[in-house]
Amino acid sequence: MLKIIIPTIMLFPVIWYSNSTLIWINMTSYSLMINLMTLPLLNQAGNNSNNFSLTFFSDSLSSPLLMLTVWLLPLMIMASQHHLMKESLTRKKLYLSMLISLQMFLIMTFSATELILFYILFEATLIPTLIIITRWGNQTERLNAGLYFLFYTLIGSLPLLVALIYVQISLGSLNYLVMNIWFQDMSSSWSSNLLWLACIMAFMVKMPLYGLHLWLPKAHVEAPIAGSMVLAAVLLKLGGYGMLRLTIILNPTTKIMAYPFIMLCLWGMIMTSSICLRQTDLKSLIAYSSVSHMALVIVAILMQTPWSFMGATALMIAHGLTSSMLFCLANSNYERIHSRTMLLARGLQAFLPLMATWWLLASLTNLALPPFINLIGELFVIMASFSWSNVTITMTGLNMLITALYSLYMLTMTQRGKFTYHIHNIKPSYTRENTLMSMHMLPLIMLTLNPKIIMGLTY
Amino acid sequence: MNLYTSFMLTTLIILFLPLVTNILYVHKNKSYASYVKLSIVYAFITSIIPTTLFIFSGQEMIISNWHWMIMQTLKLTLSFKLDYFSILFIPVALFVTWSIMEFSMWYMHADPSINQFFKYLLMFLITMLILVTANNLFQLFIGWEGVGIMSFLLIGWWYGRTDANTAALQAILYNRIGDIGFILTMAWFLMYSNTWEFQQLFMLDNNLNMLPLIGLLVAATGKSAQFGLHPWLPSAMEGPTPVSALLHSSTMVVAGIFLLIRFHPLMENNNNIQTLMLCLGAITTLFTAICALTQNDIKKIVAFSTSSQLGLMMVTMGINQPYLAFLHICNHAFFKAMLFMCSGSIIHSLNDEQDIRKMGGLFKAMPFTSSSLIIGSLALTGMPFLTGFYSKDLIIESTSTSNTNAWALLITLIATSLTAVYSTRIIFYVLLGQPRFISMSIINENNPLLINPIKRLAIGSIFAGFFLSFNILPTNIPQMTMPTYLKLMAMAVTLLGFVLAMELNTMTNNLKLKTPSSMFKFSNMLGFFPTTMHRPIPLLNLYMGQNMASSLLDLTWLEKTMPKITSKTQMTLSTTISNQKGLIKLYFMSFIASALMMFLLIS
Repeated sequence: MLKIIIPTIMLFPVIWYSNSTLIWINMTSYSLMINLMTLPLLNQAGNNSNNFSLTFFSDSLSSPLLMLTVWLLPLMIMASQHHLMKESLTRKKLYLSMLISLQMFLIMTFSATELILFYILFEATLIPTLIIITRWGNQTERLNAGLYFLFYTLIGSLPLLVALIYVQISLGSLNYLVMNIWFQDMSSSWSSNLLWLACIMAFMVKMPLYGLHLWLPKAHVEAPIAGSMVLAAVLLKLGGYGMLRLTIILNPTTKIMAYPFIMLCLWGMIMTSSICLRQTDLKSLIAYSSVSHMALVIVAILMQTPWSFMGATALMIAHGLTSSMLFCLANSNYERIHSRTMLLARGLQAFLPLMATWWLLASLTNLALPPFINLIGELFVIMASFSWSNVTITMTGLNMLITALYSLYMLTMTQRGKFTYHIHNIKPSYTRENTLMSMHMLPLIMLTLNPKIIMGLTY
Repeated sequence: MNLYTSFMLTTLIILFLPLVTNILYVHKNKSYASYVKLSIVYAFITSIIPTTLFIFSGQEMIISNWHWMIMQTLKLTLSFKLDYFSILFIPVALFVTWSIMEFSMWYMHADPSINQFFKYLLMFLITMLILVTANNLFQLFIGWEGVGIMSFLLIGWWYGRTDANTAALQAILYNRIGDIGFILTMAWFLMYSNTWEFQQLFMLDNNLNMLPLIGLLVAATGKSAQFGLHPWLPSAMEGPTPVSALLHSSTMVVAGIFLLIRFHPLMENNNNIQTLMLCLGAITTLFTAICALTQNDIKKIVAFSTSSQLGLMMVTMGINQPYLAFLHICNHAFFKAMLFMCSGSIIHSLNDEQDIRKMGGLFKAMPFTSSSLIIGSLALTGMPFLTGFYSKDLIIESTSTSNTNAWALLITLIATSLTAVYSTRIIFYVLLGQPRFISMSIINENNPLLINPIKRLAIGSIFAGFFLSFNILPTNIPQMTMPTYLKLMAMAVTLLGFVLAMELNTMTNNLKLKTPSSMFKFSNMLGFFPTTMHRPIPLLNLYMGQNMASSLLDLTWLEKTMPKITSKTQMTLSTTISNQKGLIKLYFMSFIASALMMFLLIS
């Protein structure tokens, strides 16, 4: 693991010692090289995990997420270039350092063996994200958004600390690998229900669960492009990852406690999708669509079946790439139109045909067109929830319908229709942007060819 | 030993080639459009060989190659089912598409992105072929969704027009409602049969629960535009005419019926689902035929006639005759594609005029198109020994001799009669009488790119039915004996329709206008379906999204109850507890008072 973490740390000197002309190219190429080093992790031979040391390990659940994290850094760097053009050199370097430290924390979070280490790093990711949002956001509302982001996640996760200490005392260890063997069924008492809530709520807020999601649209809308990308692609998945890890020690209580949450998610995903139908703000639409997709993941994890776990893992990866791509596209619009309002960016297909293709592909993956991995994820979750209760098909089916509608509504709004006159003199799309989009799209297509590497533990 | 597999795969590969080679730019000196057309011709020719072999030997086959995933107990592979349906459908689809491609080279020649258009058309065809040849539900779903998305792109081809975009979204909306049914079926089969492979599904218990079958029916309703989910089909006329021709003949709309035909082994013993299909089909065929009666847009009339024919196919499924329904799909493809091409030719010649009241007398100006239009219309009505006759007549016969729901049968008969009425109406208004169009329009139909495809399909519309039913082995025993009045029933109602329509149409020239009757309004307003079902429900949902989900819950309740109330309580608490109240005057006053006091004490 150190061979990934140390190069990531060494990215700091790379930026701070690069001169101003080489800063982007150095960073991008170096971070892409780190990617190469994570590739072997995907080869998970057998059911055993790769234990690198006592503190770090990776298995088939964490390695796709690790891969996603590492893959996203060069993409974020590429996406932020235009946004940072007018900043001074030191600030650029500072911004990049924030991204790197975030990546470092995330890598360690996903590969930690100890729950306490996981917890500390989980909290540590808040700091660079908060700085990115509140320092480089575009409007004054960014402060409010940062406040919401920080307090929602902190309030959710403090009980987890207490719960972890309790588990440490009662089990004697917080090591995932050992917990699998040592854990005992929770007793059916009120206190174990409370323990369950304490353990799960931190991740529910992070995912976010409907009702606790208010921080997400705000943070997404106000964050700069890299912030939105990493929030949607990786930070939300921390919640799913944590839930998948922790539910193994929370048996049989999950069976009872899951009901209200599953209900809330099924309800919330329809609510958030219908909010999407009425959004005028492009970034807010994408953010709400994340909430609705993540609701499916929560449902899947709470159902506790092998199929649903596979679906949840696949959906997390698929959604990570898709939503990040959508944010990039929204940003490329924003850089040209200087507004997030969809009405102001109509008929772009006539001007930027290649970008329209990317929009089309991103919308299609967002609405889960077969055979993309998005569909595999959604389909498995729907199958699992159908076998849990037949009635859920009405909710999940309705959500499928609305998802398709708002994805295509977004596409039609921005790309189709008559163009407005103020966009006559927009810039053509850069090679940088097209590369960025194709680097989102290629992994999606390639994973579609062989989805088993992102199916997680139960495959 | 035969060469099915290799020839079938060759066909598919030939079709895929233009998609790939476009990047390599191998078609240097030829236009991409003619390159695509050529590859479809080649694909057609290669696909003829396995079809001939199939007719000769009757052997069915499955190609299964490339494991995609194995999850727990479910194996997903790429597999093609080459059975009666797919082997016969592929050449028909390719033949019709060949003509449509050639026609679109003429129709779209001025479009700057004609290459993209051809690529979309080709992808549309390929997704349909994936759907037809799929051997498991997942692969079928790939084709199913692919067809939907391609139709979205093609209907919204002229993306500058709001109507086109709305129509495209509408198509997706109704199709997605159907997809819920499809997903339901997939989930059910996964749960109870633990497989998505067709053989395994059909081998298991045939007395199924109703749920997956209803799911299939919903899926077919969405895709094949049956009553309830039909409004997208006439709206889809916003797309270019070649798209309508392709959409209505061999791709997309027949996919729903095809799905039901595929799953026929599960439905043949289930009377409830058959009754449902019969009633749904009968309602669709009558309702859309009524809607077609008073439309003035030539493409809309043809579109509604497709919908009506799809209803007829559904009726056929309802009387347990999937092979007849399939034959009707094949026959229907020929004359429906040709009808659209003829109307496209007319519309193009009259400077994009689609209103049949502004046509007339084209019999003289466009003799070839007119005769093809008449052939197509007659084939559609089931005139003896034209293509439509071979399936339609059989369908009506087996319907009227079967002892199922008499009302559904009666409704179907009325709809058959109405087919003749609206066909006559097209012929009467477009071809006969005096010209009513602007005299400046330059009418020219002498373009080989226009004439040849129509000619090919016209020949198809006359002979295809004969060839198909002559060569294909009868798979179930057709109804041979029946009373004379039943045998002549189909003929009689059609002729009745013709006579009625001629009378009515000539009357329109003689009678003066009066306020339209309520029956006319019902037909002209599409049965008030758009005003009662089509708009209010989405509007309600959008209002719900805005008022309940967004304003009430998200912006008010969730915002106020959690973050706002927390900060509010904290504020109030801290202000109450703290001794700093911000009362500057008072503080200063007390300071002065104490200072004064001090002063007094000291002095």
